[in-house]
Parts: sequence; C-alpha cells; structure tokens
Amino acid sequence: MKNARAMIEQLRKGGKPVVGCFPLYPPLELMHSMGLLPVVLWGLRDSVSDTRDADRHVQPYACSVARQLAQFVIADGPGLLDGLFFYNACDTLRNLPELLREGIAGSRRITPPMFRVHVPMKEDGASGYLANEIANLIKALQASYGVSFSEERFARSVSLYERARRLCRRLEDAVAEGVLTFAGFSAALASANFLAVEDQIALLESTLSDCEGSITQPSATRVIASGILPPPPVICDLIELAGLRVAGNDIASMHRSYAFSPEAWGNVRDYYVAFYRDHFPCTTLLHTADRRVDAVVDIVSSRHADAFVFVGEKFCEYEYFELPYLEQQLKKSGVPVLSIEVSIDDDGSAETFRTRIDAFAELLLGREGRHDA
Amino acid sequence: MTREKTGAGKHLSELLMNAYMGIHGRAAEGAFVVWGAIIVPPEIFRGFENVVLCVPESHAALCAGKGVGSEECLKAEALGYSMDLCSYARIDIGSLSDGYQDSPTFGLPRPDLLVSDNNNCSLLVKWFDVHRREMGVPHFILDVPFCYGPQQEKDLAYILSQFRDLIAMVESMTGETFDEGRFREAAHHTAEGVRQWKRFMSFARHRPSGLTVFDSFVQMAPLFTSRGTPEFAEHYKLLADEVAERVAAGVFPVPNEKYRLLWDNIAPWHQLRKMSERLAELGANIVAAPYTSCIGSLEGSFAPFDLDEDTDPLWHLARSQNHSVCPMGMDLRLAALGSAIEEVGIDGVVFASNRSCKVFSVMQMDEQRLIGEKYGLPTVMIDVDHADVRKFSEQSAYLRLEALLENIEAGRVG
Repeated sequence: MKNARAMIEQLRKGGKPVVGCFPLYPPLELMHSMGLLPVVLWGLRDSVSDTRDADRHVQPYACSVARQLAQFVIADGPGLLDGLFFYNACDTLRNLPELLREGIAGSRRITPPMFRVHVPMKEDGASGYLANEIANLIKALQASYGVSFSEERFARSVSLYERARRLCRRLEDAVAEGVLTFAGFSAALASANFLAVEDQIALLESTLSDCEGSITQPSATRVIASGILPPPPVICDLIELAGLRVAGNDIASMHRSYAFSPEAWGNVRDYYVAFYRDHFPCTTLLHTADRRVDAVVDIVSSRHADAFVFVGEKFCEYEYFELPYLEQQLKKSGVPVLSIEVSIDDDGSAETFRTRIDAFAELLLGREGRHDA
Repeated sequence: MTREKTGAGKHLSELLMNAYMGIHGRAAEGAFVVWGAIIVPPEIFRGFENVVLCVPESHAALCAGKGVGSEECLKAEALGYSMDLCSYARIDIGSLSDGYQDSPTFGLPRPDLLVSDNNNCSLLVKWFDVHRREMGVPHFILDVPFCYGPQQEKDLAYILSQFRDLIAMVESMTGETFDEGRFREAAHHTAEGVRQWKRFMSFARHRPSGLTVFDSFVQMAPLFTSRGTPEFAEHYKLLADEVAERVAAGVFPVPNEKYRLLWDNIAPWHQLRKMSERLAELGANIVAAPYTSCIGSLEGSFAPFDLDEDTDPLWHLARSQNHSVCPMGMDLRLAALGSAIEEVGIDGVVFASNRSCKVFSVMQMDEQRLIGEKYGLPTVMIDVDHADVRKFSEQSAYLRLEALLENIEAGRVG
C-alpha cells in the first residue's frame, strides 16, 4: 500500500482540487459533487516518520491523530492540498487551524484556503442553523474554486458514497465470516480514504471479489474492536495470533463512518441535518451519547461476539469519559472487555501488549458458551 | 511573608458559606436544582423563584484549594476514569462517588437538571453525561460555536434560541413561569458586580500592583455561586473599595515588586499560597491572568462589556458567551493578551501548560513565541495541573520561574 502522501500526489494528477478534511465526519458528498476531491486526514502514520514540525506547535499531550495531522499539513500541506476543511469535531481539532497556519508560515509558504462548519451538537439537529452552515460552505467553495453546486450532482455523489459504505459493510461481514483478515480490511479502507469515491468503490469491490472463494479461517473467539482508529497492524496481528477474530468494530474511521447514510432527504441541507443528527453514535458527536451503548451492544450481539477490545487513543478524552460506563454495561451483559491504550510513541513497542492480549484470549477460551463462526 | 485575611477575604468566606448552605437549605425545601457549567448564565435561573444553580467546576476548584483534589481524583480513577482526564471532572465524579465525604461544602444537592456547554470545552458535555447516566436526570447541551473572529450574528441568534429553549425546558419541568423582571434584576446585579470586579482588577496597573493574581483567583468564587444577587455586587464593591484604600494608603501585597508577570492558564488551585509567597520573596508578582481578566469582556478583549438599561439582558448574555479564553481562537487570545500586557505593564509571561485543560493549553507554544516576538518579553512555559497536585513538579516549575526572572533582569542590565 502506498502512503497517504503518494496517494494524494496521484490524486492530484487528475487536476481536481484536493481538500484535506480534518476528521471525523466531513461532508464528503457535498465536496465531491462540486468537483472537488475530499480526503480525510487520518491514518497518516505511514506518511509521518516523526512529528518534529508539529511538536513546535502542538503540545505533546494532544492525541496522535492531531499531532500526525499537524505534521502532515505543516510539512506537506501547501504542496499537496488545495484546501482544508474542518468542523468542531473535538476540542483539539478546533484549535488546530491557526497552529497549522503558523507552522506553514514558519517555512514561508502559503496556507491552503480553510473552510469551516459548526456542526450542531443537538439531538434535534438544529436544522435551521446547520442548513445555513451548509449553504455558506457551498458559497465559500464556489468562491474559492470557481465550481458550482447542483442538487442532481449532489444526489449522484450521495449515491456513490452510499455504495462505498455498503461495500464497507459487506467487507465487515467478510471479516466476521473469516474470509478476510481485519488487518486486510483496515488496510483496504485506509487506502480507499485517499482515493476518489469512484476508485474507492473499485478497490472495495476488488477486495470483496478477492474474498469470494477464499478459505474460511478456522473458528475463533470473536471480538469487537473499538476506538478512534483501527489498532496498529502489529496489534491486529497480535490479536489474530492470539486466536481472536475481529468480527465487528465500533471504530470511528470504520464502522462509525460507514454504518449510516440518510435514506430519505429532499435537498443537500436536509441530507446533512439527518447525516449528523442520526449518525451512528460516536463519542465526538455529543448529542448521540444516549444511543451509544445500545448501538455497541447491538454490534456485539449481531456479530455473536464473545468480547470487546477497546484500543484507546491516548489523550482522547471523548473516548475515555465514556469508557467506564460502556465497560460496566458490557460486563453487565456478560461481555468481557479488554482495554489497551496506544499512543504516538507505541509503534515499536507492540510487544508490551502481547501478554495482555494473550491473557485475555486465554480467559475467553476458558469461558463456556462462546459462539463459533 | 504570610498575609492576614483582609475584610474582603473574610466577607468572601461568609458569602461562600452562605451561598453553599443556602443552596443546600433551599434544595432540602424542594427547590429545583440545576447543575450548570461555569459559562452557563446563572441569571437565567434567577428568573425563577424556586430554582437554584450549582456549579460543579467551582466546587472542584474549592476542593483543590482546600487540599483534597488529588484524593477526590483517586476515587474517580478507581472507578475507571483515566488520569489524563480533566482534574475538575475527576474531582467532581470522585467526590460524588462516596457521597461527598471529603467535600468542604458538604457537596452539592442532587440535581433535577444538568446544563452543560461546549464553548469552554466539549468535554464538559461528556462529564455531565456521566452524571446524566448515573442519576437519570435530563441534560441540556448549550451548543456554542467557537470563534476565530468576532462572534457572528448567526451564532448569536443560535445561542439566543437555545437560551429560550432552556427557559422553556425549566418552565416545563418546574411548572413555574419565567419571571422577566426577576431575570432583568439579576442581570443588572451581575453587571454591577462585574463592573466592580473590573475596578478591582484595574489596581493591577498600579506600581506596585494593588493585587496579586492569587487574590483575584480566590475572589472569583462568587462568580459561580452568587451571580445575579445583590450580595454579588456588594461583595465586589467591598473588594474594590478595600483595594483602593490600601493602594491609597501605600499598602501593597508585594511592596518590593521588581517583576510584574502575567499568568496564562487556569489557577493552580493547590499552589496559590505557596506560589504567592515564594514569588513575593523574589520580588515577583503575577499581577494578571486572562483567566480572571476575561470576565465581563467580549472575545478578543479584556475591556468591559457593559449592560446598559436599554439592552436586552438575554441578548447581552448570548453576546458574551464567547467571553472566556477557551471559546476563541489564537488570534483573539493574542489580541486580548496583548492589551493586558500593554495596559497592565508586564515584564514577563508565565505560560502554564495544563494537561487538565487542553483547550487552554494546546496553542500556548505559538502564543509564547508570538508574544515574545511582538513584545520582546521574556516568557517561560511550566507544567501544571489546575487541581491535581500529583501532576505538578514544584522543583521544575520554580527552576523555570527563577530562570524567567533572571532573563528579565538580564534584559534590564543589557
């Protein structure tokens, strides 16, 4: 797999402006429909060998997602990205734009244009406010790139993204069935993130096609993985080596991103009101908190999982505020929970997790009544 | 040098004791109890006769100031809450978990409604969600857009509409009708109190300063317990008058003041007395902080934002929802810091990097550089945690503070 930098370079060759979107759930369909190429700036580990530029601007107790994003944009943003989009996804991300501007200015380059939306964190979706935000975003994109918006093109883009999300859900099924490894699934999604949605679909279809006829792996103890990003590949390997199969996930860059698309909507504004209001619950979408435990328990149940593995992003307070309650509720339902924490410096020290993962696997194997695949 | 409690200091203790006991008493008599985040406007609740407001952040700061912060944090950590989470939240969750056994205020009465906001930090919402799940009470989220420039009309209108929703919710839950007159009266008590607070703060301009930032940190407490009451305005008038008299009489907290410093972050509640005394011995006085100066101001400024008779108080409250430091971007923060540096006369800036408050701290590295470049001031970054003393290294902090003073001195000699 090429790294993000190489993939964005490839993407730019098509001549369309590439907009780097801060995580987690930007309005990709809208940008695509206007002839732009949006990419979500996460999964940058392979493109960022260190964070030396970011470390001059971002405190070390920001999470690795923010620090790697900052490093990537400061070092490569002006040459690679034609715009940056962000919304109020988290407290750290909302403070980054001016830091990135300073970082880029430090090397006498120009910061790409920045676009911003405030996503209402209200259960009712604050439809009037968000509709206005979307209308303003459309105007800003038109003014910056000379592009135009049409509801017809938007509907086509929605359809493409829904198709991509549906393929992701089918690939998740393939992982649950044991015909695709979770590490392979994660890698496919990481690659897809830096492709135009049409090429994402081709890649996901090809991955799915490769699964057909694959030999189903022997039955294994089934777990649900949770976190902001998929576990680093070495931890995925440790999980599978321990005899555990990631049969489903509650990962922000994966299931939380592809689980839901609005079905009925009248126009672009309706679409995004429903998109954010009814989104699959995420710790960062503050208004979805009430639905989160039920949604996670439902994944565990529908995937016949035996356990839940939380791979926490160090310093992600959103995740850690909810973890004790989630853990308590899962344990009440008889679902064991393993919680491990990864940070930006953990790339070379995955062995420290081996003992805990192995011990957890042994505990699960010792339990009665686990489900076979 | 240990200072005796002043008249305003004694009055503060009485005011706080009466406020907390009053809340407990009224809750026991059946008042509707709201727990609100610190920027949620208390004046709205003063528009109801039988509603009382408690502020968990303020209670947590009080716990830290009384030396029980880390013990309370440990209780939350035992429940599974990460040590990386905000220490205010850990203190609050921890102290509630054992029925407030170590609370200096006998805790807070059980809430009927939780009101958080995401302008200071979104984590307040997550924190209040912990209580919502634990106690099964409704949680109203006040969703306030972040400012990178002056607050926009669309955002102001959005905040106003949410204030109206909040009022309707309290009316529906209590069966009581919002009394516009009571609310207006409360807003004007607050406005007068804040005017007096600004007058008190203005004595930092005097050389030597009439106050230390540690005085102002301590004196912030009524902002969270007593806003909207006549006692609130009276207290700050008493405080400002007292400092005015002391300045006129030549009585200063650091008489041999050689270094006038600015503190950038929340108060280190567990260090107030110690840090105040130790710096005073070195002739250093931290005279101002955005944390206290921002009160009663708009985003990007520390100048007073007054409420006049013709202004709708609800509009005034909505307009000032980004007043604090955290709900605004770096350009606005720098503008406000710059005006403080110029008006108060600052020799050096202490950036307190606070792991418990990422929103306050995450951009400090650039702020430090830019302030140094623009004003030619020596600056220093020290590590603190506002309420958990376990995350504070005294030796390391003072080593850096002493280096800052040496830098200031070197600049004068050069």
